[in-house]
Amino acid sequence: MGSRLPPAALSLKQFLQRQKVLGVYRSMLRTIRQVPGEADRKYLRDWAREEFKRNKNATNQDAIRMMITQATNHLEELQKSLSLARS
Amino acid sequence: MAARVLQQCVRSLGRPSLRLCPVNLALRAAVAPAVTVHRPFSFAADSRRTRWLGQSRISSVGLLCRQYGDLPPLTLETIKDRVLYVLKLYDKINPEKVTSHFMKDLGLDSLDQVEIIMAMEDEFGFEIPDAEAEKLMTPEEIVQYIADKKDVYE
Repeated sequence: MGSRLPPAALSLKQFLQRQKVLGVYRSMLRTIRQVPGEADRKYLRDWAREEFKRNKNATNQDAIRMMITQATNHLEELQKSLSLARS
Repeated sequence: MAARVLQQCVRSLGRPSLRLCPVNLALRAAVAPAVTVHRPFSFAADSRRTRWLGQSRISSVGLLCRQYGDLPPLTLETIKDRVLYVLKLYDKINPEKVTSHFMKDLGLDSLDQVEIIMAMEDEFGFEIPDAEAEKLMTPEEIVQYIADKKDVYE
């Protein structure tokens, strides 16, 4: 997933997937910024980091796709809770 | 009550008002006894005097200048210092040279790079879009990018 060096050997699909993963990670971090409470924010940041780093070395494209979907679901959940909490 | 306190402050600020004020002894006697003995004046309920004291306050305190709140102006040096400071805090890494590549020299990966750019966004207070963020791979590039965005004159 998030490879150490972007090797020239990445196929187009892999490259796009990598960009997607980084995009999800970035959106996750941006959403976490809006959480009230520094302790919660730190906890969520560490959790997100752990999750992404744990699966860093996955190579199976389908597995990666599943993980991306999972992450997107988590992200949407977080965003919904935040908007509920704000209203 | 508040007016009394205010005028006490005014008096402590503007000593010249002592001389210039046309003292009205009768007025002084009529008003409640002064709280502090070393103050010759008692509290004035006279609106004329209040206004006049207000004016003298302005002249004695000095010119009232307008103050606008703003951040100190950015220079290349300050941007570089702040970027290096954020990097030092982030992963306890101190890039020896400004041109040390995050991935090749410092051994970070792309997730770390995303986090670093987010930290820079927090530090400088503006958002960096994804397309441009993923290209910033050395502290030098970050400094250049921020200088471009903030119109820092080189």
